[in-house]
Amino acid sequence: MAIARVAEPSGSLQEVREWGLDREDLLQIYRNMLVTRGVEERGHILYRQGKIPGSFYTGRGNEASAVGVATAMGSDDVGTPLHRDMGVHITRGVEPWRIFAQYMGRADGPTHGRDGNVHMADSRLGLLAMVSHLPAMLPVAVGCALAFRIREEQRVAVAWYGEGASARGDAHEGMNFAGVRRLPVVFICDNNQWAYSTPTHLEYAVEHLADRANAYGFDGVVVDGTDVLAVYREAKRAIEKARAGGGPTLIECQTLRMEGHAVHDDAFYVPKELFERWAERDPIERFRTWLRSNADMADDEEAQIGAWVKKLLNDALQRAEESPQPDPATLLDGVYATPEDLDTPHHK
Amino acid sequence: MAEKTYLQAISDGLRTEMRRDNRVFVLGEDVGVYGGAFKVTLGFQEEFGSWRVIDAPLSETAIVAGATGAAMMGLRPVAEMQFADFVSCAWDHLVTVAAKQRWRAGTPVPIVLRLPSGGGFSGGPFHSQNPESSFAHIPGLKCVCPATPEDAKGLMISAIEDPNPVLFFEHKHLYRRIKGEVPDERYTTPIGKARVHQEGDDVSVITWGAMVYTAEEAAKLVDASVEIIDLRTVLPWDKQAVLDSVRKTSKVLVLHEDTRTGGFGGEIAATIAEEAFEDLDAPVRRVTAPDTPVPFSPVLEKAFIPQAEGVANALKELISY
Amino acid sequence: MATNTAVDVVMPQMGVSVSEGTITKWSKSVGDTIEADETLLEISTDKVDTEVPSPASGVVTEILVQEGETVEVGTVLARIGGEAPAAAPAPAAPEPATQPAAEEATAAATEGQAAPEPEPTPAPAAHAPQPAAADNGKAFVSPVVARIAAEHGIDPTQVPGTGTGGRVTKKDIVAFVEAGASPAQPPAPEPQAQSTPEPAQPVASAPAAAPAPSAAKPAAAPIPATVGSAQAGETLEPMSAMRRGIAEHMRRSLDTSAHVTSAIEVDMTRVVQIREKLKKEYQAAYGVNPTYLAFIARATIETLRDYPWVNGELRGDQIVTRNYVNLGFAVELADGKGLIVPNLKNAETLNLLGMAKGIAEIAKRARDKKLTPDDVAGGSFTITNPGGYGTFHGTPVISQPQAGILGTYAIVKRPWVITDEDGADAIAIRSMMNLTLTYDHRLVDGAYAGRFLRDLRERLQGWGETDY
Repeated sequence: MAIARVAEPSGSLQEVREWGLDREDLLQIYRNMLVTRGVEERGHILYRQGKIPGSFYTGRGNEASAVGVATAMGSDDVGTPLHRDMGVHITRGVEPWRIFAQYMGRADGPTHGRDGNVHMADSRLGLLAMVSHLPAMLPVAVGCALAFRIREEQRVAVAWYGEGASARGDAHEGMNFAGVRRLPVVFICDNNQWAYSTPTHLEYAVEHLADRANAYGFDGVVVDGTDVLAVYREAKRAIEKARAGGGPTLIECQTLRMEGHAVHDDAFYVPKELFERWAERDPIERFRTWLRSNADMADDEEAQIGAWVKKLLNDALQRAEESPQPDPATLLDGVYATPEDLDTPHHK
Repeated sequence: MAEKTYLQAISDGLRTEMRRDNRVFVLGEDVGVYGGAFKVTLGFQEEFGSWRVIDAPLSETAIVAGATGAAMMGLRPVAEMQFADFVSCAWDHLVTVAAKQRWRAGTPVPIVLRLPSGGGFSGGPFHSQNPESSFAHIPGLKCVCPATPEDAKGLMISAIEDPNPVLFFEHKHLYRRIKGEVPDERYTTPIGKARVHQEGDDVSVITWGAMVYTAEEAAKLVDASVEIIDLRTVLPWDKQAVLDSVRKTSKVLVLHEDTRTGGFGGEIAATIAEEAFEDLDAPVRRVTAPDTPVPFSPVLEKAFIPQAEGVANALKELISY
Repeated sequence: MATNTAVDVVMPQMGVSVSEGTITKWSKSVGDTIEADETLLEISTDKVDTEVPSPASGVVTEILVQEGETVEVGTVLARIGGEAPAAAPAPAAPEPATQPAAEEATAAATEGQAAPEPEPTPAPAAHAPQPAAADNGKAFVSPVVARIAAEHGIDPTQVPGTGTGGRVTKKDIVAFVEAGASPAQPPAPEPQAQSTPEPAQPVASAPAAAPAPSAAKPAAAPIPATVGSAQAGETLEPMSAMRRGIAEHMRRSLDTSAHVTSAIEVDMTRVVQIREKLKKEYQAAYGVNPTYLAFIARATIETLRDYPWVNGELRGDQIVTRNYVNLGFAVELADGKGLIVPNLKNAETLNLLGMAKGIAEIAKRARDKKLTPDDVAGGSFTITNPGGYGTFHGTPVISQPQAGILGTYAIVKRPWVITDEDGADAIAIRSMMNLTLTYDHRLVDGAYAGRFLRDLRERLQGWGETDY
């Protein structure tokens, strides 16, 4: 029995405007989704060219969810996006060339070669770098919200996790603490149906993960994660509620992971029909169609956006390839912070 | 200057910083209304309010992770584990997140985690452990283990001031048993600097925490001049002070209450072997708890925790070697 | 106990880190008869030079390693007993451990007279103690003891051990070093030059041809890895462990004490006269030569009673004074390449005869390498006698941790202004000697040192016929 509210699909342009998005915002969302996918597609190519060490993860199919939520965040809000949430980094303003440098382990990546993949974040943009142990960052985001609450700031923390990580205790402790203290935090569950090879019915027994919110004393919402405007709407609503002191919300964004767990995984265990069905709901294609029918996006405008994205990524790639390798002599630097390191926007 | 117990000195240090810096707040189980399981924060909630002295749910992960998040947002959390033993539940957040965040992502995590540790009162396997060695293995963390009231206050203030995650191991057996003069004013005790608890020429005891007093007692049982080095900080540890003492006495006993294998004493012994081999006049000895969980029965616990007599015997063997 | 089965004489291990030794001298030849424990040969290692006593009584049937050769520890050097080669009829046994031979060895060799060095033999680094092959219960030498031993050129097996099983502890070896096992002054002629039977005239104590062992000292000392190559005209030779120890001690002493030297001229005429008289008597009755050094030592002891700080020590913040004098004498080794400072314990209890005997005895043992660790430990004041070669002044280095060292110099006849009983000045021929006192100015003030020297001079100048 479902407890969580199931969100309505996105509506008309008029409705969207009521949520605070004008046409330029919509085109920006579209651009961000294209850049997100483009970065990951080129990353995939770089990986196969042997330019990216280690493994490589993408979030194909999750662009709407990531960009939708990030668009709903305020500039002072913070978040802990994960490896399917490239769209959050792009939307918050991380430059693609820095992401390519990160992928390639270069000195100009946000972690300067110390960590790889999407294990990065620009704290100046309100993002905290994820760790592989999911959902370890979820209770950390709760701690951020705690700080906002203690200082009585009108800020919100957004915590991402997946349906696989929902099975771990960190999620429970974080949500419980947030519920008990009505902290300004919004939990985003990227339910992409597969935790590596494990399907949802082996991860949880409730109908929707969002149903669990009720157990923690706050609201749960299920939303179609391929519908960027619906995601935006629900995220905006939850974020503003939290900002107003209304406590947390859990939003479950339903998507399908359109590739393997990582580049080395061909996802043979995912039924082919499932991929085919969800391919019809490709978030970018859906939004493109919506823009054409609801916001008058014409061929030339679309082509212009496409060209802009292409150039952005080409330039970014070139710049990233020029980035030097990290200097091994710096390996020992920064294991410990110095008092000067606390000179950040947050530590004042 | 006033005489304070070790416990009062910790409270004093914490209170001093909370009064001085409103970014400092306390988070833990039963730390507010109840004043903490050991009453370290007794009266704090009345003074600082319920949003700076936060009674958390029974969630060690959420406490440490919450402190981590709040620290990254600019606060100076002091989180309490009710017993150091329970820090195992928060391992991931200390080791995976807090310890590595500065190095890989450039985000400092200035948190203090208070860890009432140690045995000696039939706390059994889950309320008596000394897990400092486990964390001393983690680059990015700092581990302090004060032995005296003066150091407890000074190291507490240093820990709060430090821009890194600091594990503050406070020995439960010292809480009310050990008293000493503690300056009233604010002062810091440097992290990473040992203290010569007792000067001597014949043999050195390298130790920390409650074992400082065990060493002192043992030293009285032997007819020799025993130097006792109170490490005060296990990570970073004062290698120079240890090597200086070794070079002076040429005989060393490393003493800790934690179990033997993989205990921090092994690191000290190895360092001495590497860097002061030609100054040794006897093999480096370790006296530690045996490799078992901490037992409950007083008889068994006495057999487990190093006692002055056992330390004295080891000292005698070293002296006559 | 003679033996019919051949007994092997092997190269002994003189310390755990010692892996080889060099034969410096065979005391017996093939065919000679030898008693068990009688000296068969002398060896030299990087740690110590020593005699090797025969493991059995019998005839030396084979000598397998020749003088000057260096072989590994455990190598068979000779065989005693068993089937003697047919062509070796045993001659009469020579005098055991002959006095002449020993005395011959006492004559100091000067540097220039030293025999050419054999090829330096590589040796293991002194800092790398090897797993302790059994070394008579003192098997294990700890790293710190090994290091100190190497620094001071001491064979740790010669140090009395107080550790478990007699192991030498750091304290033992530090005490051994501080007690004077290390030399007090660079190459100083032995004071004994005067106590050998012949020289009546100390000034003419040029030693007889120095019988430096043909193989002298094998350069088996540790060779630092950083030894460079010789420039044109230079010859490189590795520093011996003892030399290294001397070097370290000299440097340390200068770094420790504030060295100041005061000198005084002493009219030794009376002592010369009295000695001439006593000489025959002492020789006849006791077989002892009353050397000038014995007179000076006696007078020194008496004077030290009034100046305890000269016989004292600075120990941390404490000043140590003593009710005894352990009087050290710098003795040069027979090969002229090092010296050692044994001391006479409780020298204040010795009269002139006892002093003369004591000095002769300890100096002989020093040269014969038969000193015990006790002989070099615990000195409280030292006399060095570089005057044997005619030098008239010097500034010796204090043997740590003592506070002073007395230098005695050549006695020479000089025109000297004297004042007779009537107060009239006259020039007379007198036997004059210079004395120096080098003292640690941290403890001993200049005036104090001056008064000490003055009183010492008065004692020597006023030596009475019946004093002893």
